[in-house]
Amino acid sequence: MSADLTGVAEIRTAASPFFWNSPGFRRFRQHRLAVFGAVAIVAMTLACIFGPMLLPYSDTFIDIRQRFAPPFSGPHVLGTDPLGRDILARLLMAGRISLAVGFSAMLISMATGICIGMIAGFYEGAVGAALMRFVDAMLCFPSIFLLLAISALISPSVPSIVMLIAMTSWMEVARVVEAQIKSLRTRDYVVAAVAMGASNGRIMFRQLLPNAIAPIVVAATLNVAHAILAESYISFLGYGIQPPTPSWGNMLENAQSYLTSAPWLAILPGAAITLAVTSFNFVGDGLRDALDPRMDLP
Amino acid sequence: MSTFLVRRLLQALVLLLIVSMIGFAILHLAPGGPLSQFAAGGDMTQADLDRIAEQLGLNRPLPVQYAEWLWRMLRGDWGLSYRDHQPVLHIIASHIGATLELMLTSTLLAMLLGAWVGILGAVKRYSVFDSLATIGAMIALSIPTFWFGLVIIYVFSVGLGWLPAGNRYTVGDGSVLNRIHHLIGPCIVLALVSTAVWSRYMRSSMLEVVNQDYIRTARAKGVPERQVLLRHAFRNALLPMITITGLHVPTLLSGALVTETVFTWPGMGRLFLDSISYRDYPTVMGILMFTAVLVLLGSLIADLLYGLADPRIARNG
Amino acid sequence: MTKHSDGTTGSAFPMPALHRRHILALGAGGLLAASGFGASAQTKPAPPPPAKPTGQVVVGLSQEPTAFNPLMPGIEVDETVWMQVFNTMWLADPQGNLMPDLATEVPSEANGGISEGGLAWKVKLREGITWHDGTPFTAEDVKYTLELINAPGFKSRTRVGHALVKDIVVKGPHEISWRMEKAYAPYLALLSNTFIVPKHLLEKASDPNTAPFNGAPVGTGPFKWGQRTPGDNITLVANERYHGKGPYLEKAVLKYVPDQTALYAQFRTGQVDLIIGTGIPANFYAEAVKLPGRKIVKIPNASLEILMPNLEHPALSEKAVRQALYASINKQAIIDVIFYGLHKPTESFAPQESWAYNPNLPQQSYDLAKANKLLDDAGWKRSGSGTRMKNGVPLEFAVSTTTGASLREQCQQLMMQDWQQVGVSMKINNMPAAVIWGEFYTRSKFQSLLVGTAFRTVIDPDPASRFASDAIPAKSGSGANQMQWQNAEVDKLLKEGQETFDQEKRKAVYWKLQEIVREELPILPIYQYVPVEGYKEGLIGYEPNINARQNTWNMGSWYWAR
Repeated sequence: MSADLTGVAEIRTAASPFFWNSPGFRRFRQHRLAVFGAVAIVAMTLACIFGPMLLPYSDTFIDIRQRFAPPFSGPHVLGTDPLGRDILARLLMAGRISLAVGFSAMLISMATGICIGMIAGFYEGAVGAALMRFVDAMLCFPSIFLLLAISALISPSVPSIVMLIAMTSWMEVARVVEAQIKSLRTRDYVVAAVAMGASNGRIMFRQLLPNAIAPIVVAATLNVAHAILAESYISFLGYGIQPPTPSWGNMLENAQSYLTSAPWLAILPGAAITLAVTSFNFVGDGLRDALDPRMDLP
Repeated sequence: MSTFLVRRLLQALVLLLIVSMIGFAILHLAPGGPLSQFAAGGDMTQADLDRIAEQLGLNRPLPVQYAEWLWRMLRGDWGLSYRDHQPVLHIIASHIGATLELMLTSTLLAMLLGAWVGILGAVKRYSVFDSLATIGAMIALSIPTFWFGLVIIYVFSVGLGWLPAGNRYTVGDGSVLNRIHHLIGPCIVLALVSTAVWSRYMRSSMLEVVNQDYIRTARAKGVPERQVLLRHAFRNALLPMITITGLHVPTLLSGALVTETVFTWPGMGRLFLDSISYRDYPTVMGILMFTAVLVLLGSLIADLLYGLADPRIARNG
Repeated sequence: MTKHSDGTTGSAFPMPALHRRHILALGAGGLLAASGFGASAQTKPAPPPPAKPTGQVVVGLSQEPTAFNPLMPGIEVDETVWMQVFNTMWLADPQGNLMPDLATEVPSEANGGISEGGLAWKVKLREGITWHDGTPFTAEDVKYTLELINAPGFKSRTRVGHALVKDIVVKGPHEISWRMEKAYAPYLALLSNTFIVPKHLLEKASDPNTAPFNGAPVGTGPFKWGQRTPGDNITLVANERYHGKGPYLEKAVLKYVPDQTALYAQFRTGQVDLIIGTGIPANFYAEAVKLPGRKIVKIPNASLEILMPNLEHPALSEKAVRQALYASINKQAIIDVIFYGLHKPTESFAPQESWAYNPNLPQQSYDLAKANKLLDDAGWKRSGSGTRMKNGVPLEFAVSTTTGASLREQCQQLMMQDWQQVGVSMKINNMPAAVIWGEFYTRSKFQSLLVGTAFRTVIDPDPASRFASDAIPAKSGSGANQMQWQNAEVDKLLKEGQETFDQEKRKAVYWKLQEIVREELPILPIYQYVPVEGYKEGLIGYEPNINARQNTWNMGSWYWAR
């Protein structure tokens, strides 16, 4: 698997507030690619939510006489697939699935990674060490092994694919959070809170977490990109979401044998994946720049 | 130094034990088994299948099977593949060459290209080149590899006929030229992604160094810009790259599974995929342990090298 | 992951669409060359073979042969190697006749080879045959082979039939005899697929399961083991001392290309000389016949594509439901559109070439009104959601097949849309082959399966192991009645068919059986397979054989016209 940007993200201590008129947001707005990414994400999301309602075709309606219509050649704007289904409708419905998979997998993997990372960072003794060794062990598995082995255990529905992706992408988050918490917990205000008798839970969620939010937000954004890509790889390897539900990944997978006769079947979903993933990566990059306080220095 | 090493090695052993347990459990609990392929053929009776399961020891309790596997492993016996009936190490050895050939070439290409793009981007920060390189890298990281591979095949093999549609070499023609010809396609695909990664690393590493005091001092002293960059900045910017190289070692060998599949490259990635599909337990476990050892070795070597290169780094575990 | 796009194969190993070995005794013409191209090449007078082995052929396979001991578990593609390196005592030609190979003649009651009503067997072996290492082949090797199959710790593929063999006696260097515990006619067919292994090499090994022989086999066949690059290819070299015709090729390369689309691309660019086995995906057929310098051939095959319902499923257990489902399958669209008109629609479980095939079964027609009426009459009422219900049981079920078969997936989606219109809710639940063919299949844990399979016993049209009520593995039976069909009349007929040797009487039995199956629909037959293979122009000797497991069965007599 490629392009796991969370590993690339070198994330530093940051505690800048995230407000509309904060210097961070200003920097984000100046980051033209990030703005482009954000706009593209919003546009794609809106199109996927409302687009299918405006189209005259359903994504699952089979009309075998209309099969393999090329794009811009008739009533089907982007053409039809081997069963004569409208590709635009399928692309948009697939976008719903793929984006939903991306977001939900991100939420779950972030939640898991944050919890484990926070506990491991806070309880530095045996608990922390044991948890981090577990994280290390999980990182020793080729992600493909986890994907293949676990996908054999579950039936390939949308929720299970989400779980699968989340299960293979929380480890990096845990590492990032653990490092953050470790460095934060020696800070004065944390030490003070401990001295004042605040409970561990309160310290973790009230003191530590908000101050570690910047790298978490960046990791989350990149995680969505990773999850969308992961879905397409899982589909490519034949463990993807079941037909007739379309996803960008399984559209691409099914298009392979028509690469010579109907190349648009592969080009369109491939382009959709690339656009979505690029946009998230742009936003993640912009956020990193924006939230990195060192940038305030001359 | 030696206590550090011993500690790290002990930790690594514990990790390997955990990895093997988790891997063994997932693999054996997954539905289907090594005999599924024979059930599919239909010419073996249920009695035959049951007998072979018995002969392979597959119907014993899982902990017993694990203990036996571990015991053999500790004595250096990696077991025999269920598919080939060949020793697992032998099978791994026979696939590693293809993967190394592909990965070394593409990594080398990516490192050179990536370093060039990264340095230039850092030096001319916010220039057109830098922006284009950034955009290009982002897009490269976002393209599904298999899709890019298919596009390469479609354009250069099917359309233009310049490149072969896959394989490591034409059967019966093992010449170097023929091999290089076959290497181009998968190499482009793999190098695209890694160039992006390397250039991003190189750029940020370089940027960090450029802002350091000693660089400013050097500039202030009137050292020519070219020399500042090459002599001072580049050398120091390479430091973090060592870590990254170390962490990159395992992927060199575990292979680019997807690229190998698209280009029918007979390497480790394909072996792993086939072994999982056929539930060839000994081979999958073998590859798993092999990769885990590499991951651990890679990070250990990276730490050691980093320490050697920069004595200021304290080794605290 | 292998991407098989012809709809016949799954992620790693195929649905067993191509069961050649079940088809011995199918006589109808070996080569049904489909395209005009294919046929004309075979009728032109061929140039003579070269005086000494020359040239090489690259055979493209979409699965990798990995098992080289022919007595140990293997899959069909492994036989591609076995057929070249080893020999059997006799083998079947495309017309279904058994031809002697290592034996001088095929034993029969007429020539005295089989006597005492099938209890005593005697085989004379050919003299002057040597193993690839130069050691002479003798009756001791045959004895060793038959004994090894039954040897307790040996992982033999199957002991069916062999377990009945006892008292093996070597009567001379080239004569062997044995007795059978009971008369078992299919043993003749089983032996046509039992490759003889060398005693002198395997005996030396401390454990024949791990003998070095298993990685570098030595046989008597037209080609010797050359070398293997795992995951890529196996090179075989000519055995110049071969006792039969040929070999005319100096080298034969079995090239593994894990993806059917990629395999076809390499066939097109000329990197592989021919594609056999899983063949050319249907969606490339039209394009393939236009390729210059390539011959594309439609292959006779006896496998059927069926929907296999689990008859213990609350809805699928009802005959009216199955009949309604059957009436609403648009077979013509599936065959003509998805499979480009290649396959043949069928109503029977028997292949159309078989002597037992009943051509008078009622023709299925795509009729949604009829399906609706059948369900209405049976008391399945439409509920608010559109799915029919009866006694609180919704008319819904899942159809499973192996993942990665994109044409099959299209087929599933077409069926789904048609069934939706008659108030049936169908879900798709595809899984990797290793999962499908595990307990999911053998212990009948599926709701329904879309599979390619055959309903016969090796040489014989007898489907007892698939239909008899004592053959349900999920109910501790020993056969392969995975749909769990139980029918007393069928059990009676199956017994009758096994007990009589009179072909006309058996035909009557099996005609009746086919009528019952067509009426009760324990399986919903969709089509009989017509796979497509292709080879480069100028290759002489390639001949599809419906009775061989792979069409490399006669590779020893292949050569290039030059």
